[in-house]
Amino acid sequence: MRAVGLILAGGNSYRMRELSNKRAIAAMPIAGSFRSIDFALSSMSNSHIQKVAIFTQYNSRSLNEHLSSSKWWDFGRKQGGLFVFPPMQTADNGYWYRGTADAIHQNLDFLKDCHEPYVVIASGDGIYKLDFGKVLEYHIAKKADVTVICKDLTPEEDLTRFGILKMNEDSRIEQFDEKPMAAASHTVSCGIYVIRRRQLIELIERSVEEGRFDFVRDVLIRYKDVKRMYGYKIDTYWSNIASVESYFKTNMDFLKPEVRDYFFRQYPDVHSKVDDLPPAKYNPGAQVKNSLVSSGSIINGYVENSLIFKKVFVGENCVIKNCIILNDVYLGDNVHLENCIVESHDTIRANTYHTGGDGIKIVDESSERYVI
Amino acid sequence: MIKKEMIAMLLAGGQGSRLGVLTAKVAKPAVAFGGKYRIIDFPLSNCINSGIDTVGVLTQYQPLRLNTHIGIGIPWDLDRNVGGVTVLPPYEKVGKTEWYTGTANAIYQNLAYMESFNPDYVLILSGDHIYKMDYEVMLDYHKSHNADVTIAVMPVPQEEASRFGIVVTDEKGRITEFQEKPAQPKSNLASMGIYIFNWKSLKEALVTLSEQEGCDFGKHVIPYCFEQGQTLTAYEYHGYWKDVGTLGSYWEANMELIDIIPEFNLYEEFWKIYTKNEILPPQYISAEAQIHRSLIGDGTEVYGRVENSIIGSGVVVGKGAVVRDSIIMQGAVIGENAVLDRAIVAENAVIGARTQLGVGENIPNKVKPGVYSFGLTVIGENAQVPADVKIGKNTAVTGNTLPEDYPDGCLESGETLDKAGVVA
Repeated sequence: MRAVGLILAGGNSYRMRELSNKRAIAAMPIAGSFRSIDFALSSMSNSHIQKVAIFTQYNSRSLNEHLSSSKWWDFGRKQGGLFVFPPMQTADNGYWYRGTADAIHQNLDFLKDCHEPYVVIASGDGIYKLDFGKVLEYHIAKKADVTVICKDLTPEEDLTRFGILKMNEDSRIEQFDEKPMAAASHTVSCGIYVIRRRQLIELIERSVEEGRFDFVRDVLIRYKDVKRMYGYKIDTYWSNIASVESYFKTNMDFLKPEVRDYFFRQYPDVHSKVDDLPPAKYNPGAQVKNSLVSSGSIINGYVENSLIFKKVFVGENCVIKNCIILNDVYLGDNVHLENCIVESHDTIRANTYHTGGDGIKIVDESSERYVI
Repeated sequence: MIKKEMIAMLLAGGQGSRLGVLTAKVAKPAVAFGGKYRIIDFPLSNCINSGIDTVGVLTQYQPLRLNTHIGIGIPWDLDRNVGGVTVLPPYEKVGKTEWYTGTANAIYQNLAYMESFNPDYVLILSGDHIYKMDYEVMLDYHKSHNADVTIAVMPVPQEEASRFGIVVTDEKGRITEFQEKPAQPKSNLASMGIYIFNWKSLKEALVTLSEQEGCDFGKHVIPYCFEQGQTLTAYEYHGYWKDVGTLGSYWEANMELIDIIPEFNLYEEFWKIYTKNEILPPQYISAEAQIHRSLIGDGTEVYGRVENSIIGSGVVVGKGAVVRDSIIMQGAVIGENAVLDRAIVAENAVIGARTQLGVGENIPNKVKPGVYSFGLTVIGENAQVPADVKIGKNTAVTGNTLPEDYPDGCLESGETLDKAGVVA
């Protein structure tokens, strides 16, 4: 593959509320047994990209734990591999990453030492499968300077948290607004870009010199009319999870057979770190309806329209409806939860009641767990 | 110089013919167990959990699945710079070339492998038992008793003792007598087929017995060491240990995992069992599904009813289907409204819609009554069973079967339908 991958996974979002208190968004658990960044990493690995750099900053420990070994994504190799770049102090830099462009700039030596002619830039909060080989072909055929992956969303969706694109018939980008209050179209940028490596180095160097640190605002949008920027529209599943509502909805999407079929049964697979947990166990009293259950879980109660992540214990007479129960949660007997996201490693005491009402409640009781 | 205190040699070359069509295309250690594991995962996990990082796996019968499963040992952390897991098949030599003719002969043919690690002790294991055991504790016992050979033994009920190889010990744990399947057992301590040898004793015995036909540990090596006056001790083990050599015991051991707190608990944090996870996504349980007392593997989709069963990874249980007291292995598809009772469905087999397994009377199998018994219906791997047929008890079905293979849409109890040609 003639491209090197960059994953921007350092950001935080207030839209994630308490969920980002203890982890980076790229480390958010998704679909029962994955993490958000698995989708970008797997797409790159499956497209035969051999060298990937991940920029981390906010709550990076959670992400580092997940990236404990590069072998899960087939990046454990001598040619290329997985590089994790947190901000670092050097003789001539004492800053944190001041923005996405700055993150790339602080590690520009890595890019300069690469031999691959192209760079694929992605974020860690997108849920999708993408063949970057095809995107690169398109990028070359269009003689583009930058190719932006984009997708048409439905008018009902909240477009104010996306970059909005408008393209001409040739797919050349004519308008590019970052998170506008009134969107000019329904085409949103997926936050995935292809760009020639030397071009990227040049643009980043110039921007940072001018004190501009954001890749989208200060590089893409600013140079939109002087560089050839093209949109590559996808019609396959893509979702951004960087708000509680979209995180909840994206997980619930996996209850749909077509979404499961696309991600779980169609080649290529999504890879993730292996946890070595036993199969899920259903004891007498378990009743599970339209739900996903992950390995290591033990179910004794009633579960409906929910996602049970790994190593969850559901006690007797529990009623769990429209919930996401994250990894390693212990639910005591008679717990009743509706429209909730239960934070990982939590212990919910017996006879507890939580409901999100019309919204979504994030439950984090942080109770002690008694281990016998 | 490379130095490993103890290395393990894992015997995984046997066919396990009493598992019938389950081992037609795979060696017994590679047979699926407990929803997501294969039998060999247990001794391999025991090794790494006991701190043994050098394991030679001796293969001979149908090794493909075993080789793919083990790979370079990543799931067990056995991918090491020095040591790790090595698959040891029989190989051609100058002069006399032979297959592995017996358990000890297989080890003898790999003296060079063992020698390269310069070990003090060699642990001999077999790849067909389900248990958790700390071999390091056994080694401590071996050392503290100044033994040359230590044999792991477990107490069995006195009335069953005549089915086992029995050892008789003195008050210090030293073995004073062996009895192979004795009519009048003098003790109830049965050998588990797990041995620790001092490297020198093992090497000397193997070289001396190198001309022995079908050289076997139980029949030749252990008696030889005994006759030479070496110190043989018995290490008593009191945990769960199951030989899954027959279809009945295989089925039973699987079913025992379903108990609320099973004697053999896979959910304990301590002493994890590792395996190669080929399928990662969670399982999907549909709105109309019903699940009662079962274990279900990753990526499986359940639309029907599952009761008292072990379902592997990537299985589909169709709408209206009923699976009772059965074992379904990875990738199998159970058609809509099919009914399975006490069935073992091997990997990637397909059961047609409305087909019924395990109906009728409990009549012994006509071809192999000793194998296909316990009232089980066994469907071989990749087998196809058409829609709307009935299959009786103590039966075996392999290959791509068609409706015309079932007279009156029925395979009576005790019959064998072998389209794959694997039931010898």
